[in-house]
Amino acid sequence: MRKESRFVVCLLVVIMAFSLSGRAQAETIKIGINAPLTGDIPKVGEGTKFAAQMWLEDVKAAGGLAVGKKKYTVELVLEDNESKAESAVKVATKMITEDDVLVMVGPQASKQAIPAGGIANNYKTVMVTPWSTNPDATKGRPYVFRACFLDPFQGPVVANFISTEFKFTKAAVLYDVASDYPKGLAEFFKKAWEGLHGKGSVVAYESFTTKDTDFSSQLTKIINSGAQVLFTPQYYNEVALIVQQAHQLGWKKPIVGSDSWGSAETVKLCGKDCYGAFFSTHYAAAGASGATKAFIDRYKAKHGYVPDDVAALTWDAMLLVQQAIQKTGGLTGDLKKDRENVRTAMSGIKKFKGITGEMTFSGGGDPIKCAVIVKISDAGEFTFYKSVCP
Amino acid sequence: MPVMGRTIRNLRASYSQVPLLGWLCGALIAVTLERFAGTPIALALGLPKIPALFGLDIMLKKPILVPNAILYVFLVYGLPMGATTRSSISLTNRLAGRLFRFPIAITVAVHLALLYTTLHLWAGISDYRALVLKLTLIAVMLTLSLNVINGYMGEFSCSHPGFMALGAYCASVFTVGLFVDDRLFGAVFLPPGLGPFLFPVALILGGFLASFGALFVAIPSFRTRGDYLAIISLAFLFIVKSLIENLEFVRGPRGLSGQPDLADLPTVFLWTVLCVWSINNFVRSTIGKALNAVRDNEMAAGAMTVDTRRTKIVAFLFAAFWAGVAGGLFAHVLRYVNPSTFGIQNLAEVLAMVYFGGLNSVYGSIVGAVSISLLGEALRPLEIFKWIIIPLLLILVMIFRPTGLIAFKDLDVTSLLRPKRKPGGEV
Repeated sequence: MRKESRFVVCLLVVIMAFSLSGRAQAETIKIGINAPLTGDIPKVGEGTKFAAQMWLEDVKAAGGLAVGKKKYTVELVLEDNESKAESAVKVATKMITEDDVLVMVGPQASKQAIPAGGIANNYKTVMVTPWSTNPDATKGRPYVFRACFLDPFQGPVVANFISTEFKFTKAAVLYDVASDYPKGLAEFFKKAWEGLHGKGSVVAYESFTTKDTDFSSQLTKIINSGAQVLFTPQYYNEVALIVQQAHQLGWKKPIVGSDSWGSAETVKLCGKDCYGAFFSTHYAAAGASGATKAFIDRYKAKHGYVPDDVAALTWDAMLLVQQAIQKTGGLTGDLKKDRENVRTAMSGIKKFKGITGEMTFSGGGDPIKCAVIVKISDAGEFTFYKSVCP
Repeated sequence: MPVMGRTIRNLRASYSQVPLLGWLCGALIAVTLERFAGTPIALALGLPKIPALFGLDIMLKKPILVPNAILYVFLVYGLPMGATTRSSISLTNRLAGRLFRFPIAITVAVHLALLYTTLHLWAGISDYRALVLKLTLIAVMLTLSLNVINGYMGEFSCSHPGFMALGAYCASVFTVGLFVDDRLFGAVFLPPGLGPFLFPVALILGGFLASFGALFVAIPSFRTRGDYLAIISLAFLFIVKSLIENLEFVRGPRGLSGQPDLADLPTVFLWTVLCVWSINNFVRSTIGKALNAVRDNEMAAGAMTVDTRRTKIVAFLFAAFWAGVAGGLFAHVLRYVNPSTFGIQNLAEVLAMVYFGGLNSVYGSIVGAVSISLLGEALRPLEIFKWIIIPLLLILVMIFRPTGLIAFKDLDVTSLLRPKRKPGGEV
């Protein structure tokens, strides 16, 4: 009996000791960052993380986030989704139900943003995906927003640009049939181009599969088809190979790409071959001014390289979230109500000045924003060429 | 020290008399306690919430709370379970003995009902728990079905994600086509209320499609073994993946989304039980023994009148069926599938679960799937180091237990459920 009572006393003491620690997190706003820190695209995850942390620094420097009359400290809940759909879903569920985040930013790639968006919508929590361009991510989901334009917008932008700039009528497309983004964009481009120049004006529509490295057979077909321009909406590692091989096979006409070219790695891998090429994207790093330049310089000083579009879009997403939270005019402390208020505020954001352009939400989760056409200069920089607005 | 050793031995001796029924009752009491008193206890211990996965999930995020979480687990699970199981040894043994006199099916059903109630209460605390539990149960199914080929038959098959993809897509096309207003398959065909009743049909169809796909691996396996079969099965995986990528009616690489929410916890649990039951019976049957014979020496097995071709075909088709069912459940838990999910990474995970848990063993597959799934969740905050630690663990297991943690062990349901002590009192 004495032994047992001693045990109970010990237990009580320990409980008392523990209950003194913790319990000091009254006025915090938690924001979830669902990022692919490991897996296929770790560079994307890194950009997301760095941009979010820079934003947090700013908030901390300002002494917290002022909402209504109160100042709240902000906490980032950063989780790795391993660039896998099921992990993105797990992370989203965990953030929303366990960590009680007010808003979730990310995931970036559409293959994670689509299922995670379903989760966020079910739990009535605002999710902002900075980079996912697939329409399905936000479609029919009032709680899911994005900070970039969509593929159905970008395809026509590129088609119009080529038509007005070069007066070409015959185009070739080379794309990865096994990857979601290039395939979708290639289709939208083809549709827009054929709308402008009639059926059969896309004279070559060639595909390959992810991780292919030899494109000579497709490129030979493209060269023989008499196309005047090559459109290839690929990622940086494939862009380098495609452009170099095209030039080796004697292609001298323009090559145009999409926002997936907008990585610092493109020019590093591709070298002189890519100079003079055009692509559509969210922002141009070289020759930027104002807030955009400030962001680029700060990022470069801190992490040693020019931020790519993911980082810039994440930054914009963080600021969008900040504005939406501040627009609510004050938090009630009831998470459900606050999430609902943030959603209302978010969907009413007009003329938000982001570093990737001005954004307006008019019903639905997709912003109306301009695309930028970038030319790769002879110094290998992404220079602003033209802005195309819807 | 000797005192401690004796205490531990005494504890082990007394707890070894607890029948499975006792453990289940103890667990049920613990989760009921958590349900009603979990939040106050967690708050009293300085935890912001009930720790979702036994504190594993906060272990690396907030190391300062680890002792609190351990104390919580001890107070909520350890203490009540320990106390009730210990004090009710004679009661639960008597109950188990009485239950044991009924037909075995009833005994099993009572145990399963207890297990499900426990899991349901446990998962009811948070949706994150429920999701992790569902995905873990699916991982158990996958691991077990791969163990039939890689463990019991001793072939090295790499096509499992391919089977899973076939099942996932088949079931998704079925449910999305029938119950969802989708731009690919047109308007709703049947009232969504029928969904739960037709969902098993979707899963079984998915399983059959996966079995059909398995024929393309099973037939080459007549003449090839070892590395060559591994390459053939890997090729099969890539064929399935690029087939789906090029099929426009399932939206190719963009993936198929919008599956109705049919895979709730009871459904997943029921299918997992069915899977464990049928695979356990399968491997303990004559054909299961034939599998082992084929593994050990194909020619000798043939000489002993084992029809090796039939054995191989049946094993492949059977394993693929369960992989397909697991794939169908997986698609409906995530409510989204895309072909890139079923790639090399997925294969590596399932293989790791099989070899970690133990070859040729139902216990092993369950242990492997559960531990790798939980480790994956617990180590997530480590980011890239997670991918160093888990493989390192696997290497260590391979060095010290080359066939996995619990290999070559039969799951004998009768001896598992048997009362551990005669009602009279003597052991």
